[in-house]
Amino acid sequence: MPESIPASLIIDTLRDTFREARAAIAAEVAEPPQHSHLGWVLSVPDTHQKTVLSALDKERDMQVITFATEDEATTAAAGFYIGGEPCVMMIQHAGLYASVNTLRGVAMDGKVPIFYMIGLLSREKDKDPKESRHSMVRYCEPLLDVFGVPHARLEGPNDVHLIPKYHRMARERRGPAAVLVGLETI
Amino acid sequence: MSMKPEEVLRVIAAERGTAVVIPTMTTAPAWREIAPDDLSVTCAGFMGGASALGLGIALARPDRRVVVLDGDGSLLMQLGSLASIAGARPRNLTHLVFKNGVYHTSGSQDIPGGLTVDFVAMAKGAGYKSAYAVRELDDFKRRLPSILGDEGPLMVELITGLAEKTPMTARGGQPFNVQVEDLRKKLLRVR
Repeated sequence: MPESIPASLIIDTLRDTFREARAAIAAEVAEPPQHSHLGWVLSVPDTHQKTVLSALDKERDMQVITFATEDEATTAAAGFYIGGEPCVMMIQHAGLYASVNTLRGVAMDGKVPIFYMIGLLSREKDKDPKESRHSMVRYCEPLLDVFGVPHARLEGPNDVHLIPKYHRMARERRGPAAVLVGLETI
Repeated sequence: MSMKPEEVLRVIAAERGTAVVIPTMTTAPAWREIAPDDLSVTCAGFMGGASALGLGIALARPDRRVVVLDGDGSLLMQLGSLASIAGARPRNLTHLVFKNGVYHTSGSQDIPGGLTVDFVAMAKGAGYKSAYAVRELDDFKRRLPSILGDEGPLMVELITGLAEKTPMTARGGQPFNVQVEDLRKKLLRVR
């Protein structure tokens, strides 16, 4: 059975993820940007991950930028990539559906590493997402499959290692990669 | 009388210095000819994204001026970006909106509201540091140092005629992914 993941664990993992990403950028470029924080969280607020977003408000080493739409957040992520800054997108499955053209045009055609944390709002604890009675839960993984976006489920605290793994994967493949947050964070 | 977009772009190219420039739609073909460099990245294939692309670069590189050459129809596609930009407060972002009242690239159909849409009021309402309209080229030349130097986010609505070329009549240019990597290499000095 899936379990909820504590916000603090996700935030610690994001911190490690950003440190690794910064080290990779530093090894690649001669003039990395000089920022005092570790990375950026680009968010269109997600009910499923609200405890993480709330806890991030208190963090000084990660900057949260709230966007009006997922299209904007995805496109801004390309700007962060161009500028050499690591970022993470935190959105909801409905936002993924809303921003499919930008996923295609920016992340895929643009070969831009964009890492998504996608909340599966309304996912039933006792059902595989593909068997959910909610279309917004059911179609998320198939949509990512159609676009060839690698993805994994965060089904509990033991899965947080997938966050740096898929962030790294996005960098290495120069394209999008995603983890799906199975249950509401606590 | 409205300004010619190409004349506006030539003035910007002459004064931009090391600013990163993001053209989109009808500013793209002309900018490609006027400033064929690798300090620009064209928003192509995801209409409406120029402002958010500029926001990301501006936040990542606060040491650089970032100038977005937006269109009125394009901006309407992601109008929420005005609030996103204002909320993020990039001090180095200049947002120029070329206002001609039509979707020139797709055949000059009127944009919703046509020329009555007031982007200056919208930018101010969203919380931009400053916003105003310019109708004359001489006025634009006079204001350009502050347009490129004042604290942002700053919007200037440019009342222009139609460009000579559109992305449909003048295809070409590097694919977006090549432009992304070229600009990244230039900004970061990728080894």
